[in-house]
Amino acid sequence: MSNAFDVEYGRLRRMTLPGLLCENAQRQPDAVAYRAKLRGVYHERSWVDYAGRVARCAAAFEKLGLAGGERVAIMGNPCEEWMIADQAAQALGGISYGIYPTASSEEIAYQMRDGGAVLFVAENQEYVDKILAIADTLDNLRHIVVIDATAMFAYDDPRLKTYDDLVAEETAGPGWLADRAARLDPDAPAFIVYTSGTTGAPKGAVISHGRHLAATYNIVTIYPMLAEREQRAVVFLPLCHVLGRDIAMTLPMLSRLVPHFGEDVEDIATTMFEVAPTVLFTVPRYLQKFASQILIGIAKTTGLKRSAYEFAMKLARRTAEARWNGPLTIGQAAGFSAAWGAVFRPILNKFGLDKLELVISGGAPLPTDIGALWQIYGLNVVEMYGQTETAGGIIAGQTGPYARPGSVGIIPPGWNIRFSETGEIEVHSPDLFDRYWNNDAATAEAFTEDGWLRTGDIGEMVDGQLKLIDRARDFIVTAGGKTISPSYVENAFRSSPYFSEVVVFGQGRKYLTALVEIDFDMVSDWARRNDVSYSGFTSLTRNPAVFDLLAGEIAKGNERLARVEQIKDFRILYKELDPEEEGEPVTPTRKIKRGLMLKKYAELVEEMYDDREDRLVAAAIGAD
Amino acid sequence: MSKPLPNASGHFRRSHADEFRLIETGFSRTMLALFIIALVSFPFLFSSFYVDLAAQVFLASIGALSLMLLTGIAGQISLGHAGLIAAGAFTAGILFKEFALPFWVTIPAAALVGAGIGVLFGLPSLRLRGLYLAVSTLALHFIVVFLGGEYETRRGFSTGILIDPPVVFGYEVYSTRAWYFTLAVAAAVTLWICINLMRSRSGRAWKSIHANETVAEAIGIGVTRYKLLAFVVSSSMTAVAGALFAYYRGFVSIEAFSLYLTIQYVAMIIIGGMGSLLGALLGAVFVTLFPYIIEALVSVLPGADRLAGSVFAFNYAAFGIVMILFLVFEPQGLVGIWRRIRDYFVLWPFRFKAMGGRK
Repeated sequence: MSNAFDVEYGRLRRMTLPGLLCENAQRQPDAVAYRAKLRGVYHERSWVDYAGRVARCAAAFEKLGLAGGERVAIMGNPCEEWMIADQAAQALGGISYGIYPTASSEEIAYQMRDGGAVLFVAENQEYVDKILAIADTLDNLRHIVVIDATAMFAYDDPRLKTYDDLVAEETAGPGWLADRAARLDPDAPAFIVYTSGTTGAPKGAVISHGRHLAATYNIVTIYPMLAEREQRAVVFLPLCHVLGRDIAMTLPMLSRLVPHFGEDVEDIATTMFEVAPTVLFTVPRYLQKFASQILIGIAKTTGLKRSAYEFAMKLARRTAEARWNGPLTIGQAAGFSAAWGAVFRPILNKFGLDKLELVISGGAPLPTDIGALWQIYGLNVVEMYGQTETAGGIIAGQTGPYARPGSVGIIPPGWNIRFSETGEIEVHSPDLFDRYWNNDAATAEAFTEDGWLRTGDIGEMVDGQLKLIDRARDFIVTAGGKTISPSYVENAFRSSPYFSEVVVFGQGRKYLTALVEIDFDMVSDWARRNDVSYSGFTSLTRNPAVFDLLAGEIAKGNERLARVEQIKDFRILYKELDPEEEGEPVTPTRKIKRGLMLKKYAELVEEMYDDREDRLVAAAIGAD
Repeated sequence: MSKPLPNASGHFRRSHADEFRLIETGFSRTMLALFIIALVSFPFLFSSFYVDLAAQVFLASIGALSLMLLTGIAGQISLGHAGLIAAGAFTAGILFKEFALPFWVTIPAAALVGAGIGVLFGLPSLRLRGLYLAVSTLALHFIVVFLGGEYETRRGFSTGILIDPPVVFGYEVYSTRAWYFTLAVAAAVTLWICINLMRSRSGRAWKSIHANETVAEAIGIGVTRYKLLAFVVSSSMTAVAGALFAYYRGFVSIEAFSLYLTIQYVAMIIIGGMGSLLGALLGAVFVTLFPYIIEALVSVLPGADRLAGSVFAFNYAAFGIVMILFLVFEPQGLVGIWRRIRDYFVLWPFRFKAMGGRK
């Protein structure tokens, strides 16, 4: 079994993404490679068309003087041109990297300088403005290519080119591309992915062509259904993230996943509804968001409809639990089918989620309750665990169907893990990232002496399944000497729909406290229903009734935690965390930078620790 | 705004041709098929009294749809509807009587005459609005009725014009069942034309004129042109309905086209629901069947025999009351009720629109 995989790993290790594209264009020229929505219509792009587009873009980049080894930065929301430009750069031996569409200008400047891109591809005018503001300080930058030229009429910077103009002049085809792809070295760097940097500045992980393909193939080994029949997926995760890249570009070439690009990321709900994907790759945040939309809808519905929902939930909760313990009896299956047809399917249909055969959550730990809720609704939710440093592949994935939430599943064939003395997970595979860009010290730190990748995550094996505990450096040691995993505690609260974010503190303190960010939609809806008046986000967070509501939720969460893990006090953030703002303690992927968070909201945190005792002691011993 | 999303997920449009499809989901396909089966089997399952009633509903639907286009969609009030029906009926009658022309000529001729009158009816609308427009169209009603009456007396048909049953594809349309199918097809074609008008440039222009004439003009809609077009299209369809009515009755007489007929059609679109084609159909069903329902109700009252003479009075009174009730309690008409029922199930188990889907 694993032998067959080894052959495929080996083959892919000698390939490149543009080469694989040409191979697909030759093998199945007229099959649908992806669909992109433009002005209300999903245009089907065949493989040969796809290859032609990449070829024309590559030829245009070549005319702009892009040479092997030079970097191309792409910024914007996912769209077909994003991935075409990316592969065009790769086809010329260039190294591409994406910048988060929500990155602040400071972060853009950092990544532009660190990566040293000669070409900047902007999705639209918004990103042109961002780059032009700092363009003069960037010595390497030669050209700026704009994909969507709407609203560009008043710009006359000589570096600006529009994508359509560039491509229109080119005549290169798949044959030309195949020729270029053949010249590429599969071991050369293909692209850089900047890690989101919850601690310190983002690091650029350099990933080479062949290793990326082989690593990503390990997802297919865990989820063979991706290659068995055509699967629809919606592209909405940022393409600069390695998971986004896998879904939009790499997996479609390795399996039968057909990505669908919506018109705008803002329209994600419409895109999902129209496409009704069969496979959903997502980060937990979206599952949480969709779940809270459903819960709001149910809270607002009529009594009869709500009782129908509640009845179905009661039944389905039992079914979900039974599923974790083995196959369902005929009676259970029939009961669930009835609940599914009468309640869950209509709910999921409204979100375009009813055709899903597989939901894969990755990127961050999935709160157990969120995973369980979706399984109760009948979705086959599984969790996978990977890192940017694993080059597009995963370290573990739950195979399901209907995997019991809590673990991250089994290790893919050909990959190995072990635990260090501290419990840190270490990974071994021939297909990992190469190094950090311009940062040899970090590279050296990332690997053990014998070449295993340090993940920085603490975990354990339980019944052959990998279980994550926390990030190594995130453990909180309280004044009482207890070591506590903050993310474990936070996840106990994150399943409440009223919280959008919960951050736990308590390093060196007597007890744990938390800063919470409210889910504005949910809480404002609750406020309206309960006649609590508010004028906006801040006024909502200041309302005592809201505080009481959240206190109730905290108490509920506390019930599930051991005594030392319980949150004794909390404060509500009075504004929403906005990654686009300078100095916010949140990364563009909305991961929390704990250190910065503590610094920025020090006053709120201090407030929660009553230090009278300390002062009494201090006074008693005569200190000031 | 582009076309609304279908009711079920997973129906993405791959070309602009897809956007023009009327039936997108499997559910609506099934429903349409069931509806057609029901329509086709109806005359074979019910007595000819009911089949005849259904035929009347189809005929009324044509008139209601065309009035809906003009008043409900384009916002131009017209009280000349009965006059237009009369014009169509008389065109068919005269052409048959004087020139013995066949069905295939008289129907298009009625459409042309209707279009011509539509221009005349429409001209005042370029200057007049609201009540004034209503009065001017009412004047035209009396002109048509006067001309029809003059024709009858001068030609010596003072009791009316007799018309032979039409021959369609070699079949004489005479039996109730034949009329049922003929009128069903005519109503379906009218509905199809109306649906397509609604989702094309003309329909959009009419809706914007209805919403705000000045703004419509400002965004580049030829208000004059589209107002006249609304009158022409609507009048032409109405005249065809009139001609069909003449054949269906086999008899044309000016007494049939009183102002009460106009009021009935106006009632159809108000009760049905302004601005909705489905409303026109529901209104046509309701108003056509209403007298029969009242009659049935009266007959079960105690002492029905004594009331028999006053059924008409009951009818008028009940009709007036229903109109008032609708205007006060359900301004959106029957279609408003229908939408609420439909939304209850479409939104199930939510009450309001959830996320991506419709509503």
